[in-house]
Amino acid sequence: MPQTDSALELSFRMGQALLENGAEISRVQETMERVVQSYQVESFNVYVLTNAIFVTGTEAGVEHAAKLKHVPSTSTHLGRICAVNQLSREIAQGEHTVAEAFAQLDSIETLPYSPLPLAVLGCAVGSAAFSYLFGGSPFDAFVAFFCGLALECYLYFAGKRGMSKFLTNLSASALVTLCGGVLFLCGLGHNMDKIIIGSIIRLVPGVALTTSIRDFFHGDYLSGAIRMLDAFLVGGCIAVGVGFVVKVLSTLTGGALL
Amino acid sequence: MNELSPLHLLLQTAVAFASTIAFAVIFHTPRRELLYTGLTGGAGWLVYLLSMGLGGGVVAASFLATLALTVLSRMFSFARKAPVTVFLICGIFPLVPGAGIYYTGYYFFMGSNAQALDKGLETIKIAVAIALGIGFVLSLPQVLFSFKRKGR
Repeated sequence: MPQTDSALELSFRMGQALLENGAEISRVQETMERVVQSYQVESFNVYVLTNAIFVTGTEAGVEHAAKLKHVPSTSTHLGRICAVNQLSREIAQGEHTVAEAFAQLDSIETLPYSPLPLAVLGCAVGSAAFSYLFGGSPFDAFVAFFCGLALECYLYFAGKRGMSKFLTNLSASALVTLCGGVLFLCGLGHNMDKIIIGSIIRLVPGVALTTSIRDFFHGDYLSGAIRMLDAFLVGGCIAVGVGFVVKVLSTLTGGALL
Repeated sequence: MNELSPLHLLLQTAVAFASTIAFAVIFHTPRRELLYTGLTGGAGWLVYLLSMGLGGGVVAASFLATLALTVLSRMFSFARKAPVTVFLICGIFPLVPGAGIYYTGYYFFMGSNAQALDKGLETIKIAVAIALGIGFVLSLPQVLFSFKRKGR
């Protein structure tokens, strides 16, 4: 069991919470350093990567701590990032003892996700809106709405089953294309391309690519490279998923689809 | 439809506002910040449309839009005492070249290498433009943004 009086442990757990919920590297590093500075820790070194944190430190004279932990890439939870940020601000102002901060952190780590119906609605509205923003007609947006509904439900169940990221993206993009394609062939919507792009926007790693370049600018080359490779792989998976279904559907229907 | 007609701009901005909030929900943003993320996203998209309509390229338009929405994010961040990331990640969602990544992959696997290269380069350029825009505004001193709030 982790000790509940170690500032090093606290800083480490806060860094882990930030990284797991999708904060950028520099924020993780800064927060960890800020927390440690607020307590009596003699020396502290931290190195953060997209998927790992390395810490060494000296606390209470003789105590040495060395930590490394693999942090698997997970979903973005901005609520938790907000909360950890608030906590670190309060710690820096000297409002908490280490034990109190641990109690706060425990409650942050159990902050709920958005309820499924709300997330499904969000994905559907988002898909429809992007279909329209990318130049689709309102009818295309209407079709994308239903693809978005199906997508978020599918992602939820894939997440529950612990399906690999690679397979999830491949199958999810194939599913939405199938869904969009069938509705399109039923005569709904005008432009297959706009329907697809709206529906898969939930999956596509645009933010990851931009973050990777921000990491490069910060000098975090390794983290940037990891994120960029990840973005390319995910993008490739999605393209294969979509491309496969489009080919199959257009062969079946004699080229009615784009 | 005229690219710069007020009605078109208003409608597009409203849709961008809605889409930003929709994705903010998916990213589990705290509810009290949702409205502000939406405003950030809408403002970014409006600047993007205006720059595009006035003849700027996609890359320049993305850069300008990012500048505007990052400034707004920092102001909200100060006013709402929330990390800037929250407004930034949600707000750049409409601008970020997600579609570009997909098209690049799609053309690549469909064997249209020239188009894939074209899209791929454009995607990278947009991503760099957005990252530069964010980096530029984030490196400005905090005083500028606290001052703006007091001035209102």
